[in-house]
Amino acid sequence: MKVHVKHWSAVAQWRWNTGNNNDAAADDEGDVCGICRIPYEGCCPACKMPGDDCPLIWGQCSHVFHMHCLLKWLGTPASKQQCPMDRRPWVTAERKVNNNVGNAAC
Amino acid sequence: MVSNAVRAQVAAKWQDSFARLNRSEPGISGLMAFSDAWTLATEFLKPCDLNDLKSRRQYDMRRVRMAFDTINKCRRLPVMMEVFLEDLHKSQHLIAREVESHMNLYSGNSDPEIVRALIFRLVEWYNAWKPPAELGQTIISAYTLAFQTHLFSILPASFAKGIKSLVAATLLGTVSQSSDQRDSALWLAFDTLSLIERYETLITSVGYEYVESHVHETCAGAWSEPMLPKLRSWMLEKIVPWMIWPFARGATNAEEAKTMMQGVGSRFDFHMHKRLCDLRTKEIFDIIVDFPDSVPALHDLKECLQRVDQRAELVQSLRRANRKRLLHPGADTKDILLQYVSTIKCLRIVDPPGVLLFKVADPIRRYLRERPDTIRCIVASLVGDGESGDSLIDDNEPIHPLQQPEAENYADPEWTPEPVDAGPDFRANKTSDIISTLVSIYDSKDLFIKELQVLLAQRLLALKDGNLDRERRNVEILKIRFGEPALQVCEVMLRDMTDSRRIDQHVQSQKPSVMHPTIISRHFWPALEASDMVMPGQFHDLQEQYAKEFSAFKPDKVIRWHPHLGRIQLELELDDRTVEADVPPLEAAFIELFSEKDTWTVDELIERVGTVTRSAALKALGTWVDMRLLKEDSENVFRLLSVAEDVTEVAPPKLGMTSLRIYLLCSRYVIPAVGGEDLPPVISVQQQQAEQMRVYWKFIEGMLTNLGPLGLDRIQAMLKLARGYDRTIEQLGSFMEAAKREGLVTVKDGLWKLGK
Repeated sequence: MKVHVKHWSAVAQWRWNTGNNNDAAADDEGDVCGICRIPYEGCCPACKMPGDDCPLIWGQCSHVFHMHCLLKWLGTPASKQQCPMDRRPWVTAERKVNNNVGNAAC
Repeated sequence: MVSNAVRAQVAAKWQDSFARLNRSEPGISGLMAFSDAWTLATEFLKPCDLNDLKSRRQYDMRRVRMAFDTINKCRRLPVMMEVFLEDLHKSQHLIAREVESHMNLYSGNSDPEIVRALIFRLVEWYNAWKPPAELGQTIISAYTLAFQTHLFSILPASFAKGIKSLVAATLLGTVSQSSDQRDSALWLAFDTLSLIERYETLITSVGYEYVESHVHETCAGAWSEPMLPKLRSWMLEKIVPWMIWPFARGATNAEEAKTMMQGVGSRFDFHMHKRLCDLRTKEIFDIIVDFPDSVPALHDLKECLQRVDQRAELVQSLRRANRKRLLHPGADTKDILLQYVSTIKCLRIVDPPGVLLFKVADPIRRYLRERPDTIRCIVASLVGDGESGDSLIDDNEPIHPLQQPEAENYADPEWTPEPVDAGPDFRANKTSDIISTLVSIYDSKDLFIKELQVLLAQRLLALKDGNLDRERRNVEILKIRFGEPALQVCEVMLRDMTDSRRIDQHVQSQKPSVMHPTIISRHFWPALEASDMVMPGQFHDLQEQYAKEFSAFKPDKVIRWHPHLGRIQLELELDDRTVEADVPPLEAAFIELFSEKDTWTVDELIERVGTVTRSAALKALGTWVDMRLLKEDSENVFRLLSVAEDVTEVAPPKLGMTSLRIYLLCSRYVIPAVGGEDLPPVISVQQQQAEQMRVYWKFIEGMLTNLGPLGLDRIQAMLKLARGYDRTIEQLGSFMEAAKREGLVTVKDGLWKLGK
């Protein structure tokens, strides 16, 4: 017998590829933004729509925040342009496209 | 010894009396004349027996009159009257006999005509014994009084019944306009015997009863037209002409009659209103069921209530009917809601300030609050779930934002105080629309928002044609009602749908795929049932491919599948036939596995797809058995039918061994399927709460282990320290009760401790 799939309306959810979410597959809670304490897949307090409208920003220090949250933080004089988690100067990381995409779909 | 003085006194008296009787006639001729006159007069007045006509003598009226004159001149009339009344008393047995014989007859056949005859006969007696008019009013009224007193004393109890039926007969006669002259004579006779005064309440009650039966006959169940005007004109045409006899006799003109009837007339009018009001009160539940066809009846009721103060009865009757007919487990929640909405609309007609409604609605609302699916029903009707024709919402009703109860504005010139019979918690909600009222059953609208999300999620995921217009429209309508922020989440859900479409278009343009997934933003969708299912074979490849394309399109994102959701269209190519099927993923996964080898046991299958429950697996297999693609060869072992087996063998008429088994098998799968098939992929609010509570159970368990038995409030206080704990102590209480039922904890003297 041969099975031909003609149409598949599936359901999936998207996640930010924060680099460590392959291990976190079991951990359903997901990570939260260190500034607003809202999950990455949620949106920062200023936004209404999650996803592309409220993207993440990756730092070289390996910390990840909602972009809006971080920019707001960096905009305050108290920030001294440092990462709020480790107080190192904030440097936005270059994103390696397509890292471990193959494992992502589990 | 008699003294001289006494002697003289007696002599003087004698002289005086003699002089009076003799009237200074010569000798004793005056005395003689008086004696004659006395004899004649008393003889004339003496009551005679009407039945014994021979004994009656004819009198020369001139002589009789002269005799009275003589007596009067001698001032002996009072004495004569006494003698007459004495005679009257002695003759009473004649009347008593008459009454007795008539009443015996009446109790035999209950014919009111006998009573009528009796009354006429009594009048005959009365007239026969009546002293002539020239004796003066005093004597006649004394006679009448004596006659009536005696008459009333001998009338038996059954006479009242007789009178009643007789009066009823006259009433019928008047109403049917066949009244004859005898009726008018009868009323005259009643008057003569003063029966009207004596039996006034009885006569009135005849009228009342007639009005009542008429109201019942004409108005019961007739709700589609206003009955009051008809009843009023009926009263005017039928009852009033009859009432003139007993209550306005002797009126010389219409004006006078009107004045005389005023009191009794308004009593009758009141009575009619009261009867109608009683009737409608009794029928109120059905009237509400019939709404809006029954609007005229409601207007009638409103008018009656203004006249008759029966609001409390109405409330009680409706509450009783509701309790008996509506608020029981047999009634559908949707029906209860429908009836509640009708009740709101109906009672607003009857009582615009809403006091009645408030009192009636309270038990309904309380009951609805206890039903688990109330919110779901309301929400379904909010979004116009057009399954059934009778939606709760009137489409014509403009959409308003939900109203919050507002403080009273005393500066408002239109302000009126609360109605007098309003209870202490009465809140006037004059303006609020039906939906606001329904939503206000619950204290917060958050529950609705949550349920709305669940419902929307189910509908979106079940969407087949991808037409979002309807859902978008619903969300827009709901935004007006609940406000924009509350529906933000729904907005995101809708956007996920369109985004998925766009992404899919892009992915398909890069690399065509049969997969068309809906990619959702978690945190914004209600919790989906978790599943660790793994799709086997080509399905897994498809998923991986798509995920790769997706990540190429959105480099920062990855997707994670919910493999158990969605639907798959398959074409199965077998040795002798091709079968098309549209099935859930689990079914597809199983049939895919059967393409690897032909025979599988249930346990093997389950192992290959990850964790699914056994009942779900059996159900999925049952689907294929029904389609005659699989066959259960022996217990839990299924075989692919690459070549179709003889259909007739399977057909029910020839219940061979195999078919019987399949038949039984199917029914075995169908039964759990009732719950399984329709089960929403999205977890309901309740389940979600239970899910959350499971987390807190860990805390409670720890607490009880470390601290020993604890009271409920202590547990609550400690749980409050936990993040995100928002349960009330009542909710905690019911949770603990549930835990107790499962044997996890025991309670003693209000202290909870872990079970063994």
